[in-house]
Parts: sequence; structure tokens; C-alpha cells
Amino acid sequence: MSTIKNDSKLNTKKQIKNSSEQNSLFLPDFCSLRMVFAVVIIGQLLAFVLTLAPLRMDQQLWNDLALISLFIQWNGLMCSAVLCLLRPVFKHYSNQFVALSSYLALLLMITFLSELTFYIMEIYYLTDIISSASHWEFLIHNLLIGGIISALALHYFYVQHQWRIKIQAESCTKLQLLQARIRPHFLFNSMNTIASLTRTRPEVAERITEDLAELFRMLFRDDHEMIAWARELSLSEHYIDIEKQRLGERLTIRWEVAAIPDDAMIPALLLQPLLENAIFHGIEPEINGGSITVTGEFDKTQLKITVQNTNSKNLVHRQGNKMALANIEERLEVHFHGKASIICHEENDIYFAVVSMPYQTKNDM
Amino acid sequence: MKILIVDDEPLARERLLSLLKEINGGYQLIEASNGLEAIEQVNQEEPDIVLMDIRMPGMNGLEATQHLMIIDKPPAIIFTTAYDEYALQAFESQAVDYLLKPIRKERLEKALSNCSKLNKLQLEQLGRQNKEVSYRTHISAQIRGTILLVPIKDICCFLADHKYITIKYRKAGEIAETIIEDTLKSLEEEFANIFLRIHRNALIRKDKIEALQKQEDGRVLLKLKDLPEGIEVSRRHLSNVRKLMKS
Repeated sequence: MSTIKNDSKLNTKKQIKNSSEQNSLFLPDFCSLRMVFAVVIIGQLLAFVLTLAPLRMDQQLWNDLALISLFIQWNGLMCSAVLCLLRPVFKHYSNQFVALSSYLALLLMITFLSELTFYIMEIYYLTDIISSASHWEFLIHNLLIGGIISALALHYFYVQHQWRIKIQAESCTKLQLLQARIRPHFLFNSMNTIASLTRTRPEVAERITEDLAELFRMLFRDDHEMIAWARELSLSEHYIDIEKQRLGERLTIRWEVAAIPDDAMIPALLLQPLLENAIFHGIEPEINGGSITVTGEFDKTQLKITVQNTNSKNLVHRQGNKMALANIEERLEVHFHGKASIICHEENDIYFAVVSMPYQTKNDM
Repeated sequence: MKILIVDDEPLARERLLSLLKEINGGYQLIEASNGLEAIEQVNQEEPDIVLMDIRMPGMNGLEATQHLMIIDKPPAIIFTTAYDEYALQAFESQAVDYLLKPIRKERLEKALSNCSKLNKLQLEQLGRQNKEVSYRTHISAQIRGTILLVPIKDICCFLADHKYITIKYRKAGEIAETIIEDTLKSLEEEFANIFLRIHRNALIRKDKIEALQKQEDGRVLLKLKDLPEGIEVSRRHLSNVRKLMKS
């Protein structure tokens, strides 16, 4: 009767140990020695529980323990063997299919072993071991216990598996989130610029260091902070100032943003990733550089900021920073709930990123 | 000793120049601001060591290095980069010399004293591992010890002949030829979206295709813009050519 319990517990333990290596398949590897050992140990513990459960203490106890242990170990190992053999097949299927088919396989195995056990007991006139239970009662009890516990175990494996995937994804996103807002290249290039300027033009080096500090101070603040347009503009100018030192004549920028009221609130550092993209795709790949134009439009209720740059025609295309756009989209959504948007398009080798959002002042918020 | 500094950022070059002057090894210092200029400088000045930035406009450092390696006595290359995940992984796995910007003087000194020449295998691996460089912008040939660069956009076709490959390309309105050592197979893989295989020994530029011509002896010739004489299309590749011409 206890066969099935044995299995499920085994599964559980295996899962915990192995799931980190196996991202795709949610079932742990039942072929490994560690897993088999775990199956044996847990099976034995289960045998103890089942023997002690009826609350009695007599001579029969030790006999029962021996027989139950035998039955459980047999079932446990056979079920592990089935899952082990099916593993290569499972790899090609979805987890839903694997869950269903491994469940059925376990039930089949338990049925088979129960029948076999009953048959052997009949041959050797041992049926009195299971006292009054009939053939069908024996089988159905085993299947019920087995079915319930296998289901619980598979569910547990699945949840464990999902949890692990989530943890991995989260740790990944945190880094990506920072990189979406600023490229590591920018930091190291700026450091190099400063190192160079310190020798020849210390006063410029000083100014660039201040710009960098201000930019990073804002970057490390809350992702969802809103700042006034005047401040956002000055941060963007600091950013361009730094890049201008590095790129020199190759970078030209025009600001046509006088239309936007200084007190308009926008998500902090919204513009910087767009400018960074423009430099990355439009200026850096070209020997002669290119130009960026930032235009601002305002119609009393709605702000529209456009960043446009000449797109490099160079054969070697650089990997884009899709994360930056996704991040901006998300931040706009958080603040403006569908009333703001970012749209990018390309026209005659000019790349446009257009951000539209409602006009809000500090008092409106 | 002659050192060539290659970097697109004037400030980065400036810093390397002053560091190298401080090291005081009696170096002769020359500069280039991208891969193309670097190759020109190597042709003219024959430096012993090249300090090569990776990200540069026009032609990046990895590609420039690939071209530099075809000459018989290539300079030793030390890569410099501010931050480049893929490249760094590649360098480490290939044990190639590299310096991280901002570069420390001691580190630079050390790199200069024990820099060694790259070998072809290392270079190939680097190219493969750097995901941003999918294909070269130029093909290089060695002519009397110097490097000749042919822009991919000027090439009409690659024709294989025994050990060598002949490139036919446009140069000042005329068709010029040069010979390189490579295999059509690797060129076909590298430039799959620009060139098409039409014969066991011919790779042609897709956007130069003009017309197919059936000859009296049953052979099919493909006429290309700029190349009036036509190139034979094998039966195996004919359907691919037709498909391309339809689309």
C-alpha cells in the first residue's frame, strides 16, 4: 500500500537537489546515484511511519516493518527506474505532457507491482499477511495512496521548478535594468576621458567629473521618480557634454525644445537613454559622425519630445539596446497609465524616437 | 621601436601618447583613428607594435587585425577596450593580450615588454566569438608586403582557381582583379546575404545580376552589371539563381 508514497517523497527530494541544473525538464534526474540513495532513505522512513501508525507494540511489529519495507523499496526503486528510463523521451516534450505521462506511468507501475505482489503471496499462501483485504481492496488502496501522493509530489516538483526559473530571471533583470538605463561602455569611456583630461586640461576634467556624478546620482535614485523638465534638460546636457569630450567634432546636437514648459514633470532620465541610443547607432559607427536633433512640441495638454538621428549605413550593424526602449515604455505606463507613448520609426535613413505624454506640473501630481 | 596607436577618440590617443612618452622607451609613436587608417599606417610605416582599440567607426579593431595578419611580417597587436563583454571573453579564452581603459602605466609597460604575435587560429576564434562583427567590410590581399583593401561593396564576384581566389571589383570605374588566399566556402558563409554561389568555383554579388543567357552548347551564362563576359552557372545552382531573379 505504501509504494506510492515512497515514490512521491523520493521525487520531492530529488527535485530540490537537481532542479538548478535542469531548467527545461521539471523532473529531477532519477538515474543519478544520489537520487537512488534518497529514494531508499525516504522509502525506509516511510516504512517506519506506516508500521508505527496503527499505534501498537507487539511481536508482529517487526514482521510488518520487514514486509512493508520490502514492498516500499521494491516499488520505490522500480518507479525510479521507470522515470529514469523515460527521461530521454521526456526531454522532447512540454512539462504538461511530462507531468501527465509520468503520473500515468507511475500508476501503471504501482498496479503492476501490486498485482505481482498479490500473485506471489497467493502462490506461497501468504495472503494472511495483509489480513482480511481482498485482491481488489489491496490494489485499490495502493492505487489511491499512490495516486494522491504522486500528484502532490509532481505538483511540488513543478512549483519548485517555476520558483527557480523566477529567481534566475529576477537576478538577471536587475542587472539588465541598470544596463537598460545606462551602458557600461559609457561609464568606462568617461573614466578614460577624465583620465586623459586630468593631464592636459584639469579644469575640463573637473567639470566632466561633476557631470558624471550628477548623472549617476540621479540614476541610482528611485526608478520611478518624476522631475521637472528644466532639470531633465540640464541632466541631458550634462550627458551630452561628457560624450562631446569623447567624440569631439563628430557629435553635433541641436536642441529645439524651448516650447516645453520648464515645470512639466517627466520621468527622470527619460531622455538620456534615447540620446545614448542615438549616439550608439548614429554617431559612433560613422567616421565623420552625425547629428542629433531634439525637438519639443507643446499644445497646452500634451508634450511631444522627438529625438532624431542620422542612422549609420555601415555594413556592420551594432546590437541594439531594446531594453532601453522597453524600460522607457514601462516607466511611461507606470506614470501615465496608457496616456503616454514612445514610438520609433525610420524614414530616409533618419531614425525618430517620439515620446508623447500629458502635461502635468508638480501640483497636478 | 615603432608603436602605432589606433583609437577613434582623440583623448584616448592623447592619453596613450603621454603614457608611452613617460615610459621613455625611446619609442617612435604614430597614430591612426580607425581601422582603415591603421592599415594605411602599417603599410607605410611598418610599426612593430599596434595598440588597437576595438570599437571604431569605419572598420573596427578586430577586422583591421584580421587584415593586418595576412602580411608576412605582421606587427604584434595589443587590443585596448573600455568595456566589451564579448571581446573580453574571446580574449581570455584565446590568451590574447588586451588592456582595459583607462590603461595603467605599469600594465602598459608589461604588455609592451612581453607582447607576442597573434596566430591565425587565435584570430579566427576571436572573429567567431565577437558577435557584433558578423562579416568583414573589406577583403584584403597582400601585394609586395603591403595590404591592399577591397571594400566588399565594390566586389562583383569571387572566382576560385586551384589554390587561389580571384576577386573582380570596381575601381575608379574600371574592373580590377586581385588574388587572395581563402576558400569560396568560407566566403559564402560569411557573406551569405550579399553573395550567391552559382557554380562550384564562382560566387557572385546578388544585386549585380542582370540576365541569364543560354549558350548553344547548353551552358548557361549569367551576365552581371560591369562584367559583360558572363559567368557560367552550374545546373545545380541554376534554380537558386532563377528564384533570386524572380524575387
